[in-house]
Amino acid sequence: MDIVMPQLGETVAEGTLTVWHKKLGDWVEANELLFEVSTDKVDTEIPAPASGTLVEVLVDEGVTVDVGTRLAVIQADGEEWIAPSGRTEAAPPLSAPASRAVARDQSAPPPPLSPVVGRLLAEHGLAAADIAGTGAGRRIKRKDVHAHIAGLTNTPVEHGVSPFGDCSVIPFNMVRKRTADHMVRSKATSPHVLQAVEVDFHRIAEIRRSHGTVWKGREGFALTYLPFIAFAVCRALGYFPHVNASIEGESLIVWKSVHLGIAVDLDFTGLVAPVIRSAQEKSVAGLARDIADLAARARAKNLSPDDFAGGTYTISNSGVFGTLITAPIINQPQVAILSTDGIRKRPVVVEADDGETIIARPVGVIAQSFDHRAIDGAYSAAFLNRIREIIEESDWDQSLD
Amino acid sequence: MSGDLAADVASTATNDLANDDIGEETRLALFRSQFEIRQVEQKAYDLFLRNLIKGTSHLALGQEAVGAGFGVAMRADDYSFCTYRGHHHTLARGASMTGVLGELMGRDCGLLRGKGGSMHLTSAEHGVMGSYAIIGAHLPIAAGAAWSAQYRGTDQVSVCFFGDGTTNIGAFHEALNLASVWKLPVVFVCENNLYMEYTPIGDVTAVEHPAADRAGGYGLDPIIVDGNDPDAVYRTAQAAIARARAGDGPSLIECKTYRHSGHSRADPGAYRPKEEVEAWLKRDPVPMYRRRLSDFGIADAVLSTIQDEVNKAVEAALQTAMTSPPSATDLLEINVWADGGASWRN
Amino acid sequence: MAELTYREAVAAGIAQEMARDDRVVFLGEDVAAAGGVFKATVGLLDQFGPLRVRDTPISEQAILGAAMGAAMTGLRPIAEIMFSDFLAVCWDMVANQIAKSRYMTNGQLECPLVIRTANGGGSRFGAQHSQSVENWAMAVPGIKVVAPSNAADVKGLLAAAVRDPDPVLFFEHKLLYPTKGEVPDGEHVDELGTARVLRRGDDVTILALAAMVPRALSAAERLKDEDGVSATVVDVRSLVPLDTQTILAEVSRTGRAVTVEENPRLCGWGAEIASLIADELFYDLDGPVVRITTPHIPLPSADHLEDLAMPSIDRIVATIRARVD
Repeated sequence: MDIVMPQLGETVAEGTLTVWHKKLGDWVEANELLFEVSTDKVDTEIPAPASGTLVEVLVDEGVTVDVGTRLAVIQADGEEWIAPSGRTEAAPPLSAPASRAVARDQSAPPPPLSPVVGRLLAEHGLAAADIAGTGAGRRIKRKDVHAHIAGLTNTPVEHGVSPFGDCSVIPFNMVRKRTADHMVRSKATSPHVLQAVEVDFHRIAEIRRSHGTVWKGREGFALTYLPFIAFAVCRALGYFPHVNASIEGESLIVWKSVHLGIAVDLDFTGLVAPVIRSAQEKSVAGLARDIADLAARARAKNLSPDDFAGGTYTISNSGVFGTLITAPIINQPQVAILSTDGIRKRPVVVEADDGETIIARPVGVIAQSFDHRAIDGAYSAAFLNRIREIIEESDWDQSLD
Repeated sequence: MSGDLAADVASTATNDLANDDIGEETRLALFRSQFEIRQVEQKAYDLFLRNLIKGTSHLALGQEAVGAGFGVAMRADDYSFCTYRGHHHTLARGASMTGVLGELMGRDCGLLRGKGGSMHLTSAEHGVMGSYAIIGAHLPIAAGAAWSAQYRGTDQVSVCFFGDGTTNIGAFHEALNLASVWKLPVVFVCENNLYMEYTPIGDVTAVEHPAADRAGGYGLDPIIVDGNDPDAVYRTAQAAIARARAGDGPSLIECKTYRHSGHSRADPGAYRPKEEVEAWLKRDPVPMYRRRLSDFGIADAVLSTIQDEVNKAVEAALQTAMTSPPSATDLLEINVWADGGASWRN
Repeated sequence: MAELTYREAVAAGIAQEMARDDRVVFLGEDVAAAGGVFKATVGLLDQFGPLRVRDTPISEQAILGAAMGAAMTGLRPIAEIMFSDFLAVCWDMVANQIAKSRYMTNGQLECPLVIRTANGGGSRFGAQHSQSVENWAMAVPGIKVVAPSNAADVKGLLAAAVRDPDPVLFFEHKLLYPTKGEVPDGEHVDELGTARVLRRGDDVTILALAAMVPRALSAAERLKDEDGVSATVVDVRSLVPLDTQTILAEVSRTGRAVTVEENPRLCGWGAEIASLIADELFYDLDGPVVRITTPHIPLPSADHLEDLAMPSIDRIVATIRARVD
């Protein structure tokens, strides 16, 4: 049976095979770890789909190939394996919910190294796998090697003298590169508008205070504001479904379920957004558990392709670092993204029967960047306001079990 | 100077040397020149047999009278051009015998230091402006040298030697036409030795006299001379050269002669009828001239002395050439360009 | 500076040299009274008289032979061969006589002459009057070979050729005769054996000659505008001596080389340069050397067919687009 490069995310079209855990001729058990893949989203371990002998290894470690490229062949017991003649053909890519995958017309390995590239690699003790090629068919060009060398040696190469004097040049790794591409494309695609509401979190704060210890003891992780916010977001999306959508051509695709992406920072090395499927069906506790699980698995590089598939709305929780407000970049192909910022005690004017008083309350800004092609400011504002209402007025006591 | 330049082949009657237009001094020069040519060519022939001359060589044995006749008639600053059968024309202008023999053997002392070989003998200091191996090529070149002299107003003359086969090639016709139209001071001399290379010239030429019968096509007078009679050649040469020097334009002269050996070293000449060869050998110009000079009353001792001197000089030249080292290998990539180098790039 | 056409620059160059040096004479077919079939030598007969500017019969061998004989004996002749195709008629003079005399005589004979000729296609003259044969000349040791692309270079390189003590084959291009250019006033002498960098870029080095130079420049402009590809354009100018230093330096800078040659494919001048690059710059190449040439055919007469055959701006752009990444 053919082992092919999986599609790890609907807008991902290729992956880099980073490590083989089996070698040619080895016996492989089904579900045993076979190889690891790196994409712009995440590093993933891929298990063998069936038992058998690894009879062909077609792609080396460090090589980037298109989704669907044959990587290896496992010959199951009793299976006839016929050696292929000629070049391997790519299997068609796996389908994605929003067919926004970047089209590629070749699945062949990158072209051979040019003489100057070969020389530069040899002179600098580099391997081709170290270099990202920007030429046709991902060919490594001379300037790609120069850029890499400039990063390694902190010395600009040829005409790339920095006008700013001493500096450290750090070339983008794969994740950074793909993040950069995604962010640029997102901003180029969606006209972003930022809106924000201030939210009084005192009721949730109260629940956290009263239930936190028990929760932690039982679940093994802390109860944060995030699952409550996520719950409120899912409820609000029910009233404002156009925020839970994608744009296809000149149509708004309104998703029926909320597959909620939760942005997770991987210790400052990159940002990933695994998805809680059908989040609208989950309780606060359920959401809390899912969030914790995803975060843990993300940090352990244990996320699977399914964990990224089909997100319809994303929450970016920058608040842990105490920010005031963030204008996040929409996670394409969605039409909006929420940012939850720092929650701090602030003096708040509160209406009481006997007039107004000022008391200290935990307050934080919730902001949304939305794609103005899909919805207008009033709609978004109303949505945000609903979130605020839900957070400020729900009886959260019943939400934990 | 005789005004009538048209003459047919005739045996020369005994002339009265005292009343002669040529004179003893000139005749002795003619004799010496022929004899020298003969001896050097004979040595060259010997060197073949000893495999000291590589490639090929075209000897002028039997054609000495044409070389000597014109050589003596020319001024030192006149230009001459000849073919690959040009040893005699080179020597007749005073070029070094050592240089000629050395060049044939690829030695450093060669006229061209071994770079050109037998077919390209040149001695610019003697006015020998090249020997040419492409049939007919040098006729326009000779015309150009004549044009240069005419332009510069120096009254130098250009003399161009070629064989009967040349009269059928394009460059012959182009050169004669241009020289006539521009009235250039060039004398075209055809050494008709009856054979194109291996083929009798008569078989491949539309007219009987390959050069003389073409003269009219270029507005020139036909001139045929016995090429084995140095006096006849000398007189004809003088007249043509004087005409050119006077600005009266070119001449085309056909010298009937015969080569003793084959076309080249490789050719034993078996295609020539035995009777024909024998008849011409009887008219060998070198011994014939010695006899004539005797008849004129020049002492045998004088003639023998000349021969001895020439023999000594030839022998010495041969020795020098034979002991000269082969051409230096650093000659290989020099003198393509005027700066002495051969580079096509920086 | 004055604006001259390429053909006016020819006459100006000849005149400059003839005025300077009495030894310079000029001969060719219809060059004197008629001012040349391409009107490139108008005015010279009037200025220098019939002894120095001479009309010849249709006798290519005699023209070049006479030039050689004159050059060997103290003059500095300029000979015209009307169409470069006719060099085939007198090729013996060029290749066997003029090119070799100095070497064979180890320096005794010299040929300080210039042969000017109208080269190249694009004028719908048919196969026997449209060839680019500078590559033939490049292949014979002993002749210098020059092909200017603009009026200033015509005058400057012609002057340099006349002053050069070696024989020079000077290839003018028929299509370029009407083109205009700024030519320095006063005495203008350029240098043989030098190329010119006309445009600098980072992605590819285009090497071109004569009529292909303006096309290469236009192509470079389009590649910049349409593809963001920045190209260096080198006007090779001189095939022998070859400015290998400039050519190799410019190819090394970009790592990519493309030649634009009007010669038919086999043994065009670019083949030699490609070989040089492969030999001396192999480890600086970021991709193969690409040659853009006329196909290996005689040139057809019909205008659209001839235009298809010769490298066009479109073909140069398309080829670089496809082959340089």
